[in-house]
Amino acid sequence: MLAHHSFTTTAELKGEHHMVPEVSRRQFMERFGITIGALGAGASSLLLPGTAQAQTPAPGPKPKGNIPDKPYKTGHMTFFTGPAAVLGEPSYKGHMLAAEEINAQGGLLGKRKIETLKADEAAGTDANVKELRRMKLSENIDCFTGVISSGNTPALGPVAEELKVLTLFDDGCTDFLFEKAVPNPHYVFRVTNIQSADGIMAALAASTAWPKITKIAHIHPDYSYGRNAFDHFNIAMKKLSGNIEVVSEAWPKLGTTEFTAHITKTISAKPDLLFCSVWGGDYVALYKQALKYDLYKKMKVATTLAFGVAPHALGKDHPEGIVAGVHANYHFLYPAGNKWPLNAQFVKKYYERWKEYPNFEAEGAYTSLYMLKMPVENANHLVGGWPEDDAIIAMLEGLMYESPAGYVYIRPDNHQGYKDAITGFAMQSKDYPFPIHDPKRVITVPIRSITAPPGYAKGEPTTTYKWIDETWPRVS
Amino acid sequence: MTPAIRPRLLSRLEVGGGLLVAVALLAVPLVAAPFQTITVCYGLVFAIAALGFNLLLGYTGLLSFGHSAYFGVGAYVTAELVKYLGWTSMEAYVVAGIVASALVAALFGIVCVRYTRIFFGILTLALSQVLWSLALKLFWVTGGSDGLRVPTPTLLFGTLAPTKDKMDFLAYHYYYYVLVLFAAAVAVMWLIVHSPFGKALQAIRDNETRAEFVGVQVRKYRWIAFVVSGAFTGLAGTLWVPLNGLTTPDILYWQFSGRIVFFVVLGGFRTFWGPIVGALAYNYLETYAVGFTVYWQLVLGLVLVLLVLTLPQGLAGAVEALSRRLRGAPAVA
Repeated sequence: MLAHHSFTTTAELKGEHHMVPEVSRRQFMERFGITIGALGAGASSLLLPGTAQAQTPAPGPKPKGNIPDKPYKTGHMTFFTGPAAVLGEPSYKGHMLAAEEINAQGGLLGKRKIETLKADEAAGTDANVKELRRMKLSENIDCFTGVISSGNTPALGPVAEELKVLTLFDDGCTDFLFEKAVPNPHYVFRVTNIQSADGIMAALAASTAWPKITKIAHIHPDYSYGRNAFDHFNIAMKKLSGNIEVVSEAWPKLGTTEFTAHITKTISAKPDLLFCSVWGGDYVALYKQALKYDLYKKMKVATTLAFGVAPHALGKDHPEGIVAGVHANYHFLYPAGNKWPLNAQFVKKYYERWKEYPNFEAEGAYTSLYMLKMPVENANHLVGGWPEDDAIIAMLEGLMYESPAGYVYIRPDNHQGYKDAITGFAMQSKDYPFPIHDPKRVITVPIRSITAPPGYAKGEPTTTYKWIDETWPRVS
Repeated sequence: MTPAIRPRLLSRLEVGGGLLVAVALLAVPLVAAPFQTITVCYGLVFAIAALGFNLLLGYTGLLSFGHSAYFGVGAYVTAELVKYLGWTSMEAYVVAGIVASALVAALFGIVCVRYTRIFFGILTLALSQVLWSLALKLFWVTGGSDGLRVPTPTLLFGTLAPTKDKMDFLAYHYYYYVLVLFAAAVAVMWLIVHSPFGKALQAIRDNETRAEFVGVQVRKYRWIAFVVSGAFTGLAGTLWVPLNGLTTPDILYWQFSGRIVFFVVLGGFRTFWGPIVGALAYNYLETYAVGFTVYWQLVLGLVLVLLVLTLPQGLAGAVEALSRRLRGAPAVA
């Protein structure tokens, strides 16, 4: 993330933006800092090392001043019912694990135990808005966390600002949130990676694995997330492969579990590649139905969220070799082995607590609470006593935190969290009862290579889209 | 003409009870927390929709399963006025919402009122689903499933701008605004159902053939009732948008129509006040069910089952029956 690769060409220095520089695929990969497979060093790394100790995090510095012992109330909203619950339940489990760990040390600043109210995101956007208001105005929550759907954060973000409630979204990561819905956030933050990274990672993986693909079919859920994936995949592919052609588009409604019509439409278009951002229980239904039609033998497939669900939600029948996205965020086997002990420790603790492996939502929700704990401690260190929200916010802005997934950076200007992006290719392993990423083909990319930097002029449909269009070289 | 001969529009009990409720509603923002006030405000808005709906069900005998359409039209017209014209005046929204929903109801009504019973219900359902799919698929116009955001409007022809704290504004100024329109809606609906037109609708409900024999133009009267009902529901949709801050296709979906039916069944469709009581009660029930359990759908389902089994006349119907029994008056069938 910190390594520097220069991209500037002479033409750009002279301000000649009309010329798109061309580079070879190899040069492109080098300049972007794209790493393939370097994280998983052989099959042994698939197993978590026995040496990883489930350490309790070191307690923070001794709190200054008088801290009330009133519980710190958080409201955690995620999908507990419906097809999205296979993504949502782990979010709650990650949150609770962190809360239990922090409470075992006496709570925030050793005094304030974390209490969690939960709410079902499946109640619908309007009911969610009402519920957030109820949580703040009636239950007096101190902090609001969770939220999976990109259809919900743009609705809840402005409400959180109106209510002046400190908010750490664990997902719902649409670029739209901080570009349009809450352009000047004060109370609202988001911890997981920005959404545009998702479509771009799928394009990078697909074009690296299969450089000759030209005809592309799409299946996306019909809401902002699907459109975001569609746009960013296309603009990245335009740079990476040049002459791509969209031969089919299908837009099932979010929450659909019947995909036959979309599958047959896709097959009849005879694409080289299917790009698909369907997620949650919808995705599980889709891959099982696609298997019946031999879809995976007829085309390559790239996804953004195949491995977004809780790992055990996928079966031994899951196809191998497809790009299995993790929302460009996290898969529990990486960073692998003992390369990044924080991950091995987190996975071990999560497994011991819940008897299952975490997904990226679990990691995001777990990290969110710790990213609250650290600023609270830092603010207390400076001002003493229980810090005001504004002091916590000042500490959160620009925070760099070491999460199980790697370093997370909260950009002060837009309150968005950034970490290096990851995706991989599905394979079945004898070590797990569900598919995992092929350790030799895990792809990681410095987030700075695939997202618009601070200060870049806003654009349509997103700033990152415009930034790619204007600054990426074209692979020749 | 002596007043004693003329039937009274309101009984003494109704005047007294109405005054009591009016004082209570006026006092809400002064005594209750902002959250409670906003919850009551949602309830009042839903009550306007329920009143409109009950003109068809309770007074004309037509069960519509598509009232989400008019609620949605009221809401989306407001959102589109913001998006394309940048209007901020609540009065403009209200007029536009009523006109647009009445127009859509007039159009749908031409098709629907030709049928009764299940055929009427299915037709209204189907037509509302058309609007729902349009809202979902015309992404560039309606925002698709993300919906459209609506900022807090200015009230009283632009003279009352939203204050910095939106919650305070909604829980005070906007609440009273809704309360006034709610009172107006109740008064207008009361006049409608007690007018000769309203009596004709009830005649149609009780016996269509006889009504036709005494000269009631059944289809025309049903159509007018349909349009009025749509306009009331549209007004509710318009008032709901600023409260919610955004509008999504959820409110055009058949489940929302089902919710309006739930309001009225909960309160009781055989009384004038039933739908109002039902809407307020349902809103509280849902708000707290979602807040206290992830099995909130189960809670609502159980309530509905228990209600139908034990209080088929709804909350208001049960209270009315009880008060009749206490006064020793004969029960009505």
